Amino acid sequence: MIEYCKAPFEREESLGSLNPFIRKWFEGRYKELTPPQRYSFKLIKEGRNMLITAPTGSGKTFSAFTGILSDLMDMSVAGTLEDKIYCVYVSPLRALNNDVYRNLSEPLEQIFSKIALPLKKISVGIRTGDTPQKDRQKMLRSPPNILVTTPESLAIILNSQKFLENMTALKYLVIDEIHELANNKRGVHLSLSVERLREIVGRDLIRVGLGATLSPLDEAAKFLVGHREDGAERDCMIVDATWDKRMEFGVVCPVSDIVNEDDGKIENAMYKKINGVITDNKTTLIFTNTRSGTERVVYNLVKRFKYGEESIAAHHGSLSRDTRLGVEEMLKKGKLRVAVSSTSLELGIDIGSIDNVVQIGSPKSVARAIQRFGRSGHSFKDVAKGEVLVTNRDDLVECSVMLDAAKKRHIDSFRVPRNALDVLAQHLVGMSQNKRWTVDEAFALVRTAHPYHMLDRKDFLSLLEYLSGMYVGLESRRVYAKIWYDEKERAFGRRGKLTKLIYFLNIGTIPDEVAITVMNKENKWIGSIEEEFLSRLKPGDVFALGGKTYRFEYARVMNAYVSDAPGQTPTIPPWYSEQLPLTYELAIEIGRFRAALSSVMQGRVKKSHAVKISKNMLKPDAKASEILDAMPIDRNAKSSIFHYFAEQLLFAKHVPNDRLMLIEKSHDDERTLVIFHSLYGRRVNDALSRIFAIMLGDETNSDVAVNINDNGFVLAVPRSKKVSTKDLDRMVQRALDVDMEHTLKNNIRRTEMLRRRFRYNAARSFMILRNYKGKKISVRKQQINSQLILKAAEEISPNFPIIKETYREIFEDVMDLPRAKLLMKGIKSGDVKYKIIETDVPSPFSHMMVTMGETDVIMMKDRREHIRELRRQVLSRIRKGT
Amino acid sequence: MKIWEGVEAVPGLPVVYIKGLDAIVCSDLHLGYEGTLADKGTFLPKMNLNHIKGIMRRAAQKTGASTVIINGDVKNEFSTVHTEELNEFIELAGFLTRDLGMKKIIVIKGNHDNFINRVTGREGIEVHEREAILKGFLFFHGEELPGGNAGFLIMGHLHPAVTLYDDAGLREKMRCFLYGATNAGDNLLVLPAMSYFAEGVSVNLEPVSRIAPIFKNVADVDSMRAMCIGEGETLDFGSIRDLKKASER
Repeated sequence: MIEYCKAPFEREESLGSLNPFIRKWFEGRYKELTPPQRYSFKLIKEGRNMLITAPTGSGKTFSAFTGILSDLMDMSVAGTLEDKIYCVYVSPLRALNNDVYRNLSEPLEQIFSKIALPLKKISVGIRTGDTPQKDRQKMLRSPPNILVTTPESLAIILNSQKFLENMTALKYLVIDEIHELANNKRGVHLSLSVERLREIVGRDLIRVGLGATLSPLDEAAKFLVGHREDGAERDCMIVDATWDKRMEFGVVCPVSDIVNEDDGKIENAMYKKINGVITDNKTTLIFTNTRSGTERVVYNLVKRFKYGEESIAAHHGSLSRDTRLGVEEMLKKGKLRVAVSSTSLELGIDIGSIDNVVQIGSPKSVARAIQRFGRSGHSFKDVAKGEVLVTNRDDLVECSVMLDAAKKRHIDSFRVPRNALDVLAQHLVGMSQNKRWTVDEAFALVRTAHPYHMLDRKDFLSLLEYLSGMYVGLESRRVYAKIWYDEKERAFGRRGKLTKLIYFLNIGTIPDEVAITVMNKENKWIGSIEEEFLSRLKPGDVFALGGKTYRFEYARVMNAYVSDAPGQTPTIPPWYSEQLPLTYELAIEIGRFRAALSSVMQGRVKKSHAVKISKNMLKPDAKASEILDAMPIDRNAKSSIFHYFAEQLLFAKHVPNDRLMLIEKSHDDERTLVIFHSLYGRRVNDALSRIFAIMLGDETNSDVAVNINDNGFVLAVPRSKKVSTKDLDRMVQRALDVDMEHTLKNNIRRTEMLRRRFRYNAARSFMILRNYKGKKISVRKQQINSQLILKAAEEISPNFPIIKETYREIFEDVMDLPRAKLLMKGIKSGDVKYKIIETDVPSPFSHMMVTMGETDVIMMKDRREHIRELRRQVLSRIRKGT
Repeated sequence: MKIWEGVEAVPGLPVVYIKGLDAIVCSDLHLGYEGTLADKGTFLPKMNLNHIKGIMRRAAQKTGASTVIINGDVKNEFSTVHTEELNEFIELAGFLTRDLGMKKIIVIKGNHDNFINRVTGREGIEVHEREAILKGFLFFHGEELPGGNAGFLIMGHLHPAVTLYDDAGLREKMRCFLYGATNAGDNLLVLPAMSYFAEGVSVNLEPVSRIAPIFKNVADVDSMRAMCIGEGETLDFGSIRDLKKASER
């Protein structure tokens, strides 16, 4: 059973559960117990599984380890501590592993230096991909009591017989940064490793999960502890100490009129605000949402305020490991005044004391916002402080609702990928190397891992068939089969001498990626883009690169071919693949906020207010103020939101919300635009937009351009194509009745997205090796070959497990088809209404959407100009009374 | 579908039938491909041999030909020979003679066909080292310019295909025959690949002269016409020049 801990234990009860030596050390070093520690010491003593979520600096790591060290100390005193591994600690980050290793080694050194008795010392060891061979060998001979490792190294250990002999006494398993694992295939991979480990050890382990906040917590707990073979979930206590650290945060709108203010002035105001924060604090951490944004902010701060290299630094994934380590080191030593990061510094590595966090633009999820703010205020008693600086109107509304939700502790949810067949294939190969399995016993084991709890037996068998090479003739299986499988005996086991080597060299879930070369048709090099970005491009899409615009024509393996598209509006911004998608829950919250605010404004904002609105001078009345004043946002923000809503109401008479999807037919100079104000998160919109684009394409018999955004999507057809609101209504009705999965499958069957994703899945399931017989296989080769495999496998069976998994990944992990289906059902039942309107100029709420492709650094000015022009037209029409 | 007098594309197949030789002509089989890839860590399902057998069977049924001419690249590896390649070739030869009743198999060696003589002698296969002139048709693989002269040149090697995008941006790639004339006025035919896995080079999108030297100076690819292979039919798509224009939009 999953249970929430309600009240912490008394100090004495907690400390009293510790071994006296450990207690003495603890009390000598810390004055008091942090919130998670008030629960954990006792719970570990009781041998309970436990999930702890808490912000940085809450002594999370020691909340897990103190109890474990205490137990090991008891053994040492009793003389029963052997050279065996008693605890395995897993984290997804090598840097964090190094921190933890150091943070355990030093106290142990201290503790034992003060003990006069000749006690056996508790030892700590680290094993990651970086650990040299000779240290691994040494570890075999004298294993540490606590092993610090990564998910990948753990999986390798599971097939190293000698190492496993040191695991017979294993008692504890600690998984750190669980929020970074539970929502992706790396975590799914780990969940199977953990169950395999339990099976090898032959008894249940005491599991401790640590992480930043995530929701739903019981889902995270299930991910940690899994299920028993009889199907019941294992017990787990949840300690949620996220909110024990005080947080102060708010939305800062740099200017009073974010729409009309001059470009330069907004930028000036923004950097002035940032500099103000930096000046007021000792160390400030700034988060942007993209790597290019990070570089831009550093550049501007240096240029404007003369920060030197010794006081400012950038930290993001494109920088070298050494550079990043250098920055972390400087932060730890308190040398930097300001560090700017995209996502890399939000993880749990030790970066010393941060006083304030500035977030520029929406971080797209409540959980992420909280986690980022939580990086400030080093000890749990300090207050975490943060500001979100907003950059445009939709960003303003989004961030305001986000922080309001954070204040109310409403957190968006994560989802564990379910039944990932590629990851399972890898483990089945590993399992077969361990011993001979009956199908039943292996299936039962796999289903104890939470991501596979509902695994279909048919899928399991199809993987065994695939892995045993049943897709080729008998004579070829010698080469193709990775396992031995006897259908009649219903058993499988190892096969082939090379398989073990294949397993070790190709383990893991992170795909090889390389940059895609962009060339024109004359094979002239233009630049490069990321693979993920290429997978989003459709022929005809226009994008900016190096200050020019290009039209995507086609891709061939690792090259994207383009033609010049001077002066054309980009349809997809270059950071698109880097930008995190808005979460579903936050989108719904924004929808609810829209409903609440617009309903009190309806009828009160009048046409006669038009002049005041255009000058940004209309005052919210009492009811609107009540809503806005309750939010953690500044005056500029309140005024800007109010005016934004007023314009939309006066112009379109409707403000779309979570239960009202506004479908707006409008146009620009060349195109008819169908704007779906569909606020359900970008992953839902990804699926919906494709369905509606297909419908509109059928309806108009023309090419449909699609622009997807967090706030909705825009479909565009040439203006010569006549589309009436009646046509649109028929189109929606038709869309409600289609088999979405089937339609989408046809839609993505021949796209780059499918081709790329298939390669990842083929590599993860060992159909295409990344490393074979000591040779690395280039990504280019992998891609060419995976396209061939895809073609052949499709012909063998559309349900070939690797193909099935590729579609599952796209529908459930990349898009959110399940929720898109639910939404359509809601529309059909009338639970969610839709309203089709026609406008002569796109309504204010669509301005960000219709100009989205223009949000590139170089185009910022043009876009703002464009938006302002749209607004001028809107206001003049309000005044004229359309 | 008629290409020249007495030379017809067999509908829906990457094969031509030459009446005067009573032969079906094809190219670029790349047998053993999956086996060689599996040795390098890519476990491609085995499709090619059965795919080729199927084509040969249908071509034989439709034409009643007594001879098969393979215009190079019977197998896949060029620097060595893989047992799977020879095994598949032996199996195919047996299939052609025993199951389809072919009287004669003629192979023009391509750049991938080293060591092939190890089995051809045994199976009674006629092998030509570089090219062969048979009743006025010059067969050569195409990785080099032909040495001889004839009014009709037939090559493979290029794996020609045409790629088109439909309105929804979906890609359609079709294998095709290229036919037309050289600058000197000889007739030139390029055969598409037989191999299941050789999707081909998009001649309307990609440069071809580096792969097929004949299109450097001897012939102009833009003036060639493409005859694309669809489901059960073969259709003329007009000149490469026009196809290039269409894909420029």
